[in-house]
Amino acid sequence: MCEANVYINRNGKEELLMEKVDRMIPGDENNIFMESIFGERRVIQARIKEMQLVHHRIILEEIKTAAEFQEQEIWLTLDTEHGHFHDGEEIRLNLFNGYNMKVNQDHVFSHPQVSMLQHGQTRECPVQINEGIVEVNLGEEADGLMQVYAHESGDKELYAKIFLEVGHHHHHGVEPVGLPLEIIPSNYQHARMGENYEIQVLKNGLPLAGAKVKSTYAGTSNHDYPHHLVTDEDGKTSLFLTARGNYLFSVADGEIISTFTLTKSF
Amino acid sequence: MCRDMPPLELAIQFHGHICPGLLMGVRASEFAIQHLQLERDRDEELLAVVETNSCGVDAIQSILGCTFGKGNLIFKDYGKAVYTIASRDKGKAIRIAQKFNANRNPLFNRYRELNIKDHLTPEEKTEQENLLGQVFESIMTAPFEDIFEWHEIEFDFPEKAEIRKTLQCSVCGEGVMDARAVTTEPGVVCPTCYIDQGGE
Ligand SMILES: [Zn+2]
Ligand SMILES: [Zn+2]
Repeated sequence: MCEANVYINRNGKEELLMEKVDRMIPGDENNIFMESIFGERRVIQARIKEMQLVHHRIILEEIKTAAEFQEQEIWLTLDTEHGHFHDGEEIRLNLFNGYNMKVNQDHVFSHPQVSMLQHGQTRECPVQINEGIVEVNLGEEADGLMQVYAHESGDKELYAKIFLEVGHHHHHGVEPVGLPLEIIPSNYQHARMGENYEIQVLKNGLPLAGAKVKSTYAGTSNHDYPHHLVTDEDGKTSLFLTARGNYLFSVADGEIISTFTLTKSF
Repeated sequence: MCRDMPPLELAIQFHGHICPGLLMGVRASEFAIQHLQLERDRDEELLAVVETNSCGVDAIQSILGCTFGKGNLIFKDYGKAVYTIASRDKGKAIRIAQKFNANRNPLFNRYRELNIKDHLTPEEKTEQENLLGQVFESIMTAPFEDIFEWHEIEFDFPEKAEIRKTLQCSVCGEGVMDARAVTTEPGVVCPTCYIDQGGE
């Protein structure tokens, strides 16, 4: 008998996962595929902790995805490869729930509200929930620079915000949309790799000093946020941008978690 | 492309990935633009002599527009991170040499160590990703003089390349530039066919 029993270590306790396993194949993203001589198959997110070959025991260790043990947040992304939209293009956005830009597939949105602010005017955006993702379609009418923001109430008050640009314009000075906790960029135009990007945190419209801001980027392999920042007395802090994809900034205060998605243009 | 790409972005898109060597090349190119006060449409009048054929050269090609195809990129196979950038219009040239210690510190060393490994554990992959971020910031924010040695040099501009004639190879029938063709008994032969037939 050459098969092994596979055990998994969950919170310090060993559990039998599968008996008489004769095939194990490690895959991407910490997946391990296993198959027993009875034809039972299973894929699990874990890593091999120990192999006791004489005793035919393989012990796995559970890998918790960040989304499982961290506080959930919501964030918006533009549904374009391009970083901005062109005139006449259909403008679509997505709202996700999860952590560290990793989507929590099990989350069920209850009443997500999405609004848009342009030229000082706010309007509600129609939303559609599709397999755990909120889809926002603004049609083709929009032009210029807009801010889209989302809100969902649950255990905490979750907010998300993003800039949306249609056509090529130059903008200076960005107004806060007025969220109870809000991240705004100091300079909307300036977001380049290899440069510092400055943001400001506002609480009820006023700069929040000493706020802990976390930052991450799309596609990171870090389980938790890779960057931790603290705002200065003006509520400002900055991050040197090195990743190719979009960045997400997240700040928490009391019962509120608020995110800001920085969309890169290239 | 609907927007002017910043130099760094140009280089990354051209090279296909971000790596310390490319970023060093970006710094060298940006310095050349600044020091030689190069204009936007500069590529025709510029000439680069590169003494390496590794990542940094792709920054020179994409940012400065000195490319193999245009003939304004001259490669000397010396294995040195040295770039000479010369402007015909300005009648000026600078030689930029990466300092020996520019990429020698624990951060770079660990990054290189991980980079040459065949297999990375998920933890090492994350470490590598984070190290690249730190290396990236350190290269892009270092004072130029800390990572490069540079000075203006006298530079003899080579004659503009003359247009060469194309001959037809008598063996394979393909075209070959006259200066590279070999004349043999049966007729004009291209270097490929010449070597195939046992020539040197
Ligand atoms: Zn490279
Ligand atoms: Zn031939």
